[in-house]
Amino acid sequence: MLKIKNLKAGVEENQILKGLNLTVKAGEIHAIMGPNGSGKSTLSAVIAGNENYEVEEGSIEFEDEDLLDLSPEERAHKGVFLSFQYPVEIPGISVSNFIKTSINERRKALGIEKLSTPDLLKLMREKMELLSIKKGYLSRNMNEGFSGGEKKRNEIFQMAMLSPKLSILDETDSGLDIDALRIVANGVNKLKSKDNATIIITHYQRLLDYITPDYVHVLYNGRIIKSGSKELAHELESKGYDWITKEADKEWA
Amino acid sequence: MGLINEIKNYSDKKNLSADKRSALDNFLENGFPTIKDEEWRYTSLKKTISGKYSINAVGRDVTKKEVEKHSLGLKHKIILVDGFLISKPEIKNISISAYSEFISNTNEALEKLNYSLAKNGYTISVHANTTIEEPIEILFFNTVENNFIQYRNIITVGDNSQVKFIEKIQNIDCDNVFVNSFTHINCESNSKLEFNKIQNNTPNSSLIDTVDVFQKKDSVSNINTLIFGGKFIRNNLNFEQNGTNAESNMNGISVLNKNQLADNHTFVDHKSPNCRSNEMYKGVYLEKSKGVFNGKIMVREDSQKIDAFQSNNTLLLSEDATINSKPQLEIYADDVKCSHGCTIGQLDKEALFYMRSRGIGKEEAQAILTYAFASEAINNITINKVAMLAKKLLINKLDVDLDHNI
Ligand SMILES: Nc1ncnc2c1ncn2[C@@H]1O[C@H](COP(=O)(O)OP(=O)(O)OP(=O)(O)O)[C@@H](O)[C@H]1O
Ligand SMILES: [Mg+2]
Repeated sequence: MLKIKNLKAGVEENQILKGLNLTVKAGEIHAIMGPNGSGKSTLSAVIAGNENYEVEEGSIEFEDEDLLDLSPEERAHKGVFLSFQYPVEIPGISVSNFIKTSINERRKALGIEKLSTPDLLKLMREKMELLSIKKGYLSRNMNEGFSGGEKKRNEIFQMAMLSPKLSILDETDSGLDIDALRIVANGVNKLKSKDNATIIITHYQRLLDYITPDYVHVLYNGRIIKSGSKELAHELESKGYDWITKEADKEWA
Repeated sequence: MGLINEIKNYSDKKNLSADKRSALDNFLENGFPTIKDEEWRYTSLKKTISGKYSINAVGRDVTKKEVEKHSLGLKHKIILVDGFLISKPEIKNISISAYSEFISNTNEALEKLNYSLAKNGYTISVHANTTIEEPIEILFFNTVENNFIQYRNIITVGDNSQVKFIEKIQNIDCDNVFVNSFTHINCESNSKLEFNKIQNNTPNSSLIDTVDVFQKKDSVSNINTLIFGGKFIRNNLNFEQNGTNAESNMNGISVLNKNQLADNHTFVDHKSPNCRSNEMYKGVYLEKSKGVFNGKIMVREDSQKIDAFQSNNTLLLSEDATINSKPQLEIYADDVKCSHGCTIGQLDKEALFYMRSRGIGKEEAQAILTYAFASEAINNITINKVAMLAKKLLINKLDVDLDHNI
């Protein structure tokens, strides 16, 4: 589904991703871990099409199509979804209006007719139940004054509403309380199918107790320096990153 | 050629009273202001006054259907056609009548012109101790193409009284109409006024709208100016606070495209202590449109404990759009809280990316953010129907597919 080859990207003079390779197939869940500042959010931003980052080299293919050629909205229409590490507040537009616009813009691009308001409300109710979201929140302005955890939950709610093919969850677990973590994980598991894939960026093993990844990668200094099974996450939790990053530092020295 | 000659011809033919004659002579001495006048530096009347005009011409009647089409559907409607009062509501403790002559002591050229040529307008007097719950709609219809017309209005809100107005100027079957309007408002002690101006006339219309508000002690006046349509708009909004604890509030929204120009000149004269003023103007400029804002606040020497706030925030959404924004604070008292801020910006990039990553196209995303920017000022409007209309006009103008009812 997703093929990233030798990706080098950064801002202005500063190269952040330094030759990154990653392949994700439909039906898989990948976890990406790594120290602060290693480039995890940059990777997700580049996949989603943030124009702040410049791609110098390499390629990203999504379902055998060159993703780098597409605008952020076109990527979204193809089924790429990024749950932001820091969701943005959008004043003046309610959650329900935002989601409605987002769904219908995608439908328009795909040549499907607009979702009717009753159908939309039905779908919203369904997904709100799945994620234990209270009703009043639909009429609040998008992320405005939301607590950290509420913002993250709102990201997953949008994911559920949009049913993307590839979801990238950038530290969606940070800021969630234990119950919310379980609810969100449960939501992600329920939405999982053989046709979609998920990349989970996280610092903690905890989330992986609920969502079992097929692969765990360590991203360090702009590259994936180690990949393994879910046991790798346990190992990282007890040993930290030192033992692999030192090796990588030596190799590049 | 041009309007100034038409005015001369007109005045030669008419019998004007001595006062009016002298006001007109006074106007004709310098003619219309030009960009050499400091107050008109960025706002050129040249094109507007070069056209061919009739003066104060009267056209046809307006049908009930047409009224309905342009009205907000409020119960109380005052209707004027080509400046003449043709219909008014019966409201207890309010007297409403047609134009009546009154002198104002301003020195503005356009006021002099207005005074000398005016035959049209309304006179409203809200008696003391009266609260009018339902807002009153004032509809000005113009029906004559290439017409230059004066409105001269006066409103008095009596002691302890409260009232809300919505004023709208609408061309019907005509487009190139130039309105020079002057409204004198007296807010008596402890009165409360809300006045909403909806400026959404046809694409080639021109408007100069001057409102002078005189406030006595403990009075509150809120004036909202919503600018969407028209080619040339100049608003002069002046407050004079002549009593303690008076409050003057202004909200403005301009959403312009094409070659539209809107100029908001505001002036608050804090002549008494312990008063407040609060001003928030927002502008969104698309295509080749042009905005001008000049906010003058004067705090006189003995006017202590004044609290004055002013902001003018602008979104420039095209390379060709321009804004000239100027705060002008003249403070002669020392115990004063006065703040002003002015921002000129583009849209928040992070927010744009966030929305686009959710599948919302770039233009749509821009429109939504613009909507959010402007709606902050709309939220200060207390009449629901006006706020709804403003939202609708905003959405239409931005060409965005949002349901304003949500
Ligand atoms: N827009 C930017 N401008 C300048 N530097 C940037 C920008 N975005 C990222 N960086 C830098 O690139 C590096 C990688 O940042 P990134 O946010 O991708 O890290 P991360 O792995 O997500 O970290 P964390 O675990 O703290 O979220 C950091 O050193 C960061 O300062
Ligand atoms: Mg990050």
